[in-house]
Parts: sequence; C-alpha cells; structure tokens
Amino acid sequence: MTTLTPTPGGTVVRPADPPFAARHQSPRQGGTILAVPALLWYLVFMVGPLVAIFVIAALHWPGMLQPVSFAGLGNVRTVLDDPVFWDAVRNTAIQLAVTLPVMIVCAYMLGYYVAQRPPGHRVIRYLLFIPGLVSTPAKAMVFYAALSPDGLLNGALKGVGLGSLTDAWLASPTTSLACLIALDVWSGVGFTAVLFAARLAAVPGELGEAAHLDGAGHWRTMWRIHFPVIRDYVGVVTMLQFLWTLFDSAQRVLLLTQGGPGTSSTTLSFLVYQKAFIAADLGYSQTVGVILFLVGLAGLLAIRRLFRQTY
Amino acid sequence: MKLGKRWLPAHVLVWTYAALLLVPLYYLLASAFKSNDRIFAHPFALPSSLGLGNFRTAFTSADLGLAVVNSSLVTVFSLALTLLLALPAAFALARSAGRAAVVIERVFSLGFLIPTFAALFPTFLLAAATGLFHTRTFMVLFLPATALPLSIVILVQFMRTVPGEMEEAARLDGASTFGVLRHVYTPMCLPGIATVLLLNFLTFWNEYLYSLVIIGPDPAQRTVQVALPTLKAITGTDYGVLTAGTVLTLLPVWVVYTVLQKRMQQSLVSGAVTM
Repeated sequence: MTTLTPTPGGTVVRPADPPFAARHQSPRQGGTILAVPALLWYLVFMVGPLVAIFVIAALHWPGMLQPVSFAGLGNVRTVLDDPVFWDAVRNTAIQLAVTLPVMIVCAYMLGYYVAQRPPGHRVIRYLLFIPGLVSTPAKAMVFYAALSPDGLLNGALKGVGLGSLTDAWLASPTTSLACLIALDVWSGVGFTAVLFAARLAAVPGELGEAAHLDGAGHWRTMWRIHFPVIRDYVGVVTMLQFLWTLFDSAQRVLLLTQGGPGTSSTTLSFLVYQKAFIAADLGYSQTVGVILFLVGLAGLLAIRRLFRQTY
Repeated sequence: MKLGKRWLPAHVLVWTYAALLLVPLYYLLASAFKSNDRIFAHPFALPSSLGLGNFRTAFTSADLGLAVVNSSLVTVFSLALTLLLALPAAFALARSAGRAAVVIERVFSLGFLIPTFAALFPTFLLAAATGLFHTRTFMVLFLPATALPLSIVILVQFMRTVPGEMEEAARLDGASTFGVLRHVYTPMCLPGIATVLLLNFLTFWNEYLYSLVIIGPDPAQRTVQVALPTLKAITGTDYGVLTAGTVLTLLPVWVVYTVLQKRMQQSLVSGAVTM
C-alpha cells in the first residue's frame, strides 16, 4: 500500500538546524493532543463498524429481532454452498474483467489526448468531469429513462430503422449486467482520463520530443514512452478503480435492476446489502462482507505487484 | 503542426464520447420541460415551451423542497464538523515529530483501505444503539468520520509547507497554540481547506446508500438523493416529472462546478492522487 499512503517517514523529514529544532521541541510535542478528537471520531464510526463485520460474520442471526447464536464458520459453509453466492461471484468477476481493462485503456488514451492540448481541450475537460458530479441516484434515473422500453435508446434505434433490435434492456437477463457495466464505464472513463491527463502533464516534454525526432509516431510515444514512465500511477488508478467497482456497485444494482431478473445482475456487494436489508440474514450478509474485504486486499496486492516499476 | 492528419480518428472518437456524455444530459434537460407523449414521440426535439409544470409536480409529489433543505442541512453541518475535527488534527500531525504523531498519521492513512460500504450494517446497528436511527443527526456525525482520512492527509500536506519562522514570530507575540492554528496556519492553508471542502461537498451531497438505510424514508428527514428514486414509484413512468426532479437535485452541484470549475477539478484530482 505504500503507493496509496503518504511517505511514512514524512513527519521526521524536517531539515532544520539543531538549535532551531530544539527550540521547537517543547511546544510542538504538546500539540499532538489536538489529533485525539479526530482519531476518536474515526475509531468510533469507521474502525468500530469494520471490526463488527468480522464479529457478526461468526454469528447465526436470522433477522433483527431474532435470537443470536454463535455460528463459528457455519456461515462460511452456508455461503459457499449457496448457488446465489456463486452467481454473484461470477457477475462480479465479469464486471471487473470488463470494466478494469476498458476503463484503464480508454481513460489513458483519452487522458493522453487531452494532455496534448488539442483544439477544444478545455471544453472536453469540462465535459469529462460531468458524470463525476452527478450522484448515483441521478445517474440511475438517467439510465432508467434511457434504457426503459419507451426510452432514449429504443427511440433512437426505431428512429434509424433498427426497431427489431429494441429490448427491455434492464429487464432482460442477457443485458441487465451489461447495462450496469455500461453505466460504470460511461461515468468513470472521463474522470479517470482527467487523472491521467494531470499526471501526464507532469512528464517532461523533452521525452516526447526526443521520441518524435527518433521517428516514433504518437501511438508509439503514447504506449512505449509515456506509459512506462507513469506506470506506477497507472497502478494507483487501477487500484482505485478496482475498489470502486468491487465495493460500490450495490447502489447502482439496487436502483436499476435489484439484482435481477433472477440473479443475473446480483454482484457481491449487492448481495451484502440484499441479505442484510431485504432477506434479513445478517450472518450471511456480513460473511460476504468479510469475503469482499479479503478479495479487496488480495486484489490490491496483486495489482501493486503487476504495476511494480520495472525499468 | 504537432497533431497531424493522423489524429483525425482520435478527434472523432473523443468527440463521440463527449457526445455520449452530453446526449443523456440533453435528454434529461429537454424532457424536464415536455409531456410524456412528446418525450415518446420526439425524444430529441427541443421542448416547445419552458413551462415549469413538471418541476412543480416533482416538487410537491416527492416533497423535494423539504428534501433539498434536509440535504443542505446535512451537507453544511457535516462539512463544518469535518473541518472542526480535521484542522486541529492536521495541525498537530504536521508540526509534531513525536512517535505518537507518526502512529496516528499511519492509522488515518489505513482508512483508505476500509470498504465503508461493507460496514453498512454495523453502522446501522451503531445508529440504533445510539438512539439516532432515522435521524439526520446521525448522518451529520457519521459522514465526517468517513471524510477524515483523506481530509487530514490533504491538510497535513498543505500545513507542512508553512515555514516554521511564521510560528516562531507568532509565538514571540504571545500567541497560544490555538492562536497559531487560527491566525497562522488556517489563513495560509486556505487553498487546502477549499480543496477539502469541495471534495467533501460533492461526496456529502451525493451520498445515497447510507442516507437510505440510516435516515430512511421519512419525508421530514430524508435527503434529495433518497427522495429522488421514489419519484419513479410515485409517478409511474412519467419521465417528464422524473427528469425534472433529477435536474433539481443536480442544480446545486452544477452551479458550484461551473463557478469554481478549475478549483473543483484540481480538488478532485488531488483527492484521488493523494489516495
């Protein structure tokens, strides 16, 4: 996680002449107490619930007002024996396998484009951020209006004479998951591209110019020169995107398809929500929560390894 | 000259994507002024009149006015509390070289790893245990906690750039520790504070799942993000009203973005970069 955290030694790196530092020691030390309220707040509202996930995962708790008993690893067995869980695993795997590569490759290319400051790049930059400003419910409403049987997409298809291709996109088992993935990509590429553009702007210009003098085209410069230079940053963005896709899909699933039809669009994070607040099987829900947490950790480590600086 | 003819496909692709971003939003805005029949018959046509009927229906049928007030209250108080907690903490961590400070800073950085979403149910239990379930108050207490790791990391970075001599001078003039924070660090870190405020404004205003579960469906307490999807159930498939409601919830963010465009982009980028 070093790439995600600020330099651990940061606090001690304060090059000052000794008398200056010594004069500082006494009042500065005393100030640490000012961090305590924030720390307590954070422990109560963030770390506490996190620990509770692991505790509840070990309980048999079939509903808010039901008696609670210790289940040990019983929940794990129930979860692993449940075909719905495996459907959710499959859907989440598809979601990650499609979203991550498409998002990173498209966003990188788009970011590279914007970083070259082509005509109209200011307008593009303004537009790219727009989905990032729109809340999840609002995005879901836009997609609901666009993909419903009388919506925008079907209207457009009919308009160009492709009426036979129309479908109830969100209600069809073959397309519901694809719609959710499309929403992710549609709204994520722009924001991620601006992140890449910001990082690419910090790459020295001579690097690209040297490559051009050597006869490399933009395509080669983009992938062979700039990409390796910002490789570790690509890793950071991939990690963020991975976490967002893995953890945050519950809201979009809830708003657009409720996991259906059947289990065709149930993702792991929606399963956590569904089991807790709809099916009231709390031990099951939090067991999936723990699994999600572990998958998240494992994914972060794997991505970090994959994008380790190699030159 | 730098971008030759071979860039044509790139231009086309990028502007196609830009259009893909704009078309649904145009549809959203145009539909807000149209009747259902006109939306189905001519989805892309400009509205024939700028009547506010759909907005009025959305406003009354889902109590959106009250929801906007609720969202504003939650957002403003959460922002204030976030600053109140994060500023002193960042101040302490930036100035202190002690062992404790290093540990505390690391604990905060680990916060990026916590999947807040998975902790939804335990947080719900916490709300029930504190007797604040189904209230906006719990959200005001809870949201700052989720914002603290990033806010503190950003503010610490800004505060480290304040030269020690400034504090020396203030101390010689008899300033207390709080005085130093108020009169030296806070004014010098205004860009950092703006970054933190904008970033958190966006997250707090747009927060959905926690608000849904913890504040619940009570119209007197719920936020716009929770009220908005109920329009779908209330109005059936009246897309005019649905889109009008959506436009209403977007307005505040839109205004802030258009006014503070550059600032906001920097905040969002630096937020994600620091993570």
